[in-house]
Amino acid sequence: MKREGMCRVRFGRITAFWTSIAILSLFVNAPGQEPSTAMPAASKPVAKLPHPAIVLKDEDGHNVLESGKPISTRHTCGDCHDYDFIANSFHFQQGKTEMDRALLTSHGVAAFNQSPGMFGKFSILPNRQLTGLDVKDVADFDMSQPEWLTKCGVCHTGAGISEFDLQGHKFLTADAKPTGPLDPSYSIRDREKGQVVPWDWNKSGIAEADCFLCHTPKASRGARKKEMAVGDFRWANNATLLDTGIVSVQADGKFIYNRAAFNQDGTVKPEALDLSDPTLENCAQCHGFTARSTTTIQPIQHADIMRGTEKSGWIYNGAKISDTVSPNVIGKEKMRYPWDGHAAKGIVCIDCHFSVNNPGRMIHEDQKEHLLYKPSGEDIAVYLKQPNHNFARGNIPPETVNINAHNTMRGCADCHDAEKIHTFLPYKSRHFQALACQTCHIPSVHFWAYRSDDWAFLMDTGGSRITYRGIDGGIVDPESEVTGYSPAYMTSPGKDGNLQIRPTNLISGVYWFDKAKGRPVFTWQMQTAFFEGLPANGEWKYRPEVLKAFGDKDGIIDIPQGVYDTPEKIALVKGLLQKYAAVEDPELRIEITPWAISHSIVGKDQAIRDCVLCHSKNSILHRPLDLDTFLPQSVPVTFRGKQARVVNFEGKEPVFDNRELLSSFYVVGSSRVAWVEWLGWIFFAAVVLFSILHGALRLLGGGL
Amino acid sequence: MNSSTPLYALHERIWHWLQAASIIFLILTGFAIHYPDRFGLFGSLARAVRFHSWIGFALLVNGFLGIFYHFTAEKYHHFLPRADDFTEAAIRQIRFYLYGIFKGEKHPLETDPRRKLNSIQKITYLLLLNVLLPFQIITGILMWGADRWPGLFNSFGGLWVLGPAHTLGAYLFLAFLAGHIYLATTGSTPLSLLRAMFTGFEEPSRG
Repeated sequence: MKREGMCRVRFGRITAFWTSIAILSLFVNAPGQEPSTAMPAASKPVAKLPHPAIVLKDEDGHNVLESGKPISTRHTCGDCHDYDFIANSFHFQQGKTEMDRALLTSHGVAAFNQSPGMFGKFSILPNRQLTGLDVKDVADFDMSQPEWLTKCGVCHTGAGISEFDLQGHKFLTADAKPTGPLDPSYSIRDREKGQVVPWDWNKSGIAEADCFLCHTPKASRGARKKEMAVGDFRWANNATLLDTGIVSVQADGKFIYNRAAFNQDGTVKPEALDLSDPTLENCAQCHGFTARSTTTIQPIQHADIMRGTEKSGWIYNGAKISDTVSPNVIGKEKMRYPWDGHAAKGIVCIDCHFSVNNPGRMIHEDQKEHLLYKPSGEDIAVYLKQPNHNFARGNIPPETVNINAHNTMRGCADCHDAEKIHTFLPYKSRHFQALACQTCHIPSVHFWAYRSDDWAFLMDTGGSRITYRGIDGGIVDPESEVTGYSPAYMTSPGKDGNLQIRPTNLISGVYWFDKAKGRPVFTWQMQTAFFEGLPANGEWKYRPEVLKAFGDKDGIIDIPQGVYDTPEKIALVKGLLQKYAAVEDPELRIEITPWAISHSIVGKDQAIRDCVLCHSKNSILHRPLDLDTFLPQSVPVTFRGKQARVVNFEGKEPVFDNRELLSSFYVVGSSRVAWVEWLGWIFFAAVVLFSILHGALRLLGGGL
Repeated sequence: MNSSTPLYALHERIWHWLQAASIIFLILTGFAIHYPDRFGLFGSLARAVRFHSWIGFALLVNGFLGIFYHFTAEKYHHFLPRADDFTEAAIRQIRFYLYGIFKGEKHPLETDPRRKLNSIQKITYLLLLNVLLPFQIITGILMWGADRWPGLFNSFGGLWVLGPAHTLGAYLFLAFLAGHIYLATTGSTPLSLLRAMFTGFEEPSRG
């Protein structure tokens, strides 16, 4: 009996155990959670403590539910976090705090730039230049601070340059006054009138730090963009919350607060705001296509989002390329690996690009003290009060943004022990010193990217001619065939200062440079030279001289016609710029801009392992990536701010020529010293010929 | 001369053939490294590099064994040219190669175990074993040690100096090999010298 009883007890315990397991497993797969197959196991959300419920306050510190005014993050978030400390970082200043001529010079940033950051650095992509405080002539006025905010402010996270003028005075305060009619903080170029007119800050308001854009998973970048674009800065942060249910838009466009999203005590419901560390999706709004695991990569509107992806084609996504539903990636069937190996492992942006004083992530390098890790990190309370928003970053060409924070993130070698896993590779240290890890681990790009942006000849849209590589068809057409591309290679200093070869996209820009002023010709000057007045119904009308020189027999200028293929055409436009746009000494120039690639990392099975790919006469390291088909010849070519011989015009189409850039690298099996080869073979051939001749004479003379 | 005494002792023959095999293998692997896309004899560049390194060290060891043998057996003098090896003997030898050999003249040097090398051979081997071979070994070891002693490697100009220098040396070795093989046919019969290097005994000169 006793034995039987024990059996029953055991049976009962076993049954209870397995029943518990079964019930637990049901909870693990409970509705509302992602199916386990949709997300890699490693990327399951980590449990987190919710942010305390907060009151959304207005500029007077009152609950917005009562006042109905725009949310003031200075008061809402700033009560606990040091708002001014946070807003002094790059995401909010965008280069304003780096407007230092000595700093620019020391980093090789051309003199016509105001800063090394997005706010102040000229780029061929938008072809716009921030106007400095020193501008005295309306002809030198291009993009003012308010216009910058309407164009670029959607990604700029508020505060900093949308709260303070270039002299450091806070807008809408007594000290904030324009220095004159051309003060770029208080004026804007009116394209229709062709004049510089005052900007009404009272009407637009200021945009405080948009903490929600990065810390609310449901942030609505699109709604924010709309408010910034129309110059309604003060409501931009409210717009960001449009998808959270906290705010709604009325028919008249005004924002109202939804009581259902608030608790009885006036605090906003934590689940509505869901304040958290920045998610992949938050960063993706501005930096490039980033997702934990998705099979659909949405078509992209030009100049809107995914700038990083547009520039070099990287996709940070944990899903396999072969599973991609859209876009139409050609050959995806064979690509049974993730778009990015790190994304597939559940690594998120802030794992590498963390706040540098986050005690849990900060690097404690102190080489003088020989410490690799210092356990006594910063106090968590200090961090929560003053989290450093100059996030850890690398140093990827051609970026000069946040120049003082370069190389603050962990490098590949800080997580991976490359020496251990590259057993097939001879001369590991040499390889690791000469090659960035990306060189082998981003063998190809499976998405499209910018190929050229030609501002030297304006199309009838009034804008530039843009071409893309890696796609056959329009970039927003889901039917287009995405073929991807193989990157070119350039050099840039690694963390230790040594030059390394790394993969890059190349964007060719053709533009006119005003030699007298020492800066690129502005877009409005180009439009003045090319077109007769302002656009009617959105269609710009070319000047007759332009049509005569460039148009086809029907008087139409399409992409193949708008090219500088003769010196006469160059001379004509030069004359137009002098005549109509008062550009004294214009010069046609080419700029080849590299956009190095650091995401879309593949694992060892897809990485380059075949030595011959690099170590051969046709080494991929010298891959002649195609450039803009219509690049004009015999004009100065600049590469990373310096004139360089990087374009080879000898073939059918202009291609990238990096021989000069990589000249310091001797690649075994690829590099040759011509005279050594000639001398060696001549010596050998001479001996062989002598032997043959000598032997033949012996044979004839009977000496054999 | 005692006909039972071989012209080339067993040690010398082994040393010679090991040296020959090493140099041929080094040239082949060298080609596989220098022209990896056109000379894939060893499967991969990495494997060719490994083989090249191992054989290079084997050649080095063989070189030291050769030095040890020639000094302890007091045979180093074979490789030391006398004064007339640079003048009269050299001229006689050159005249023979450029003229006499076609007329069926007798070889100017009757080899025996005490005098195995003619003056041209002595001068060539002096340069080969004391200049070119050490040059190749030094440049080769410096490149092999690029990962181990990067400072030393870079102080010699790195790959842009060492690579082409080693390549030029390899071409000279290749040229020597071609000439050496051809001149090996200039014995009493085309294969007599080759046979001697296997058997140790050289057939009497025809002349």
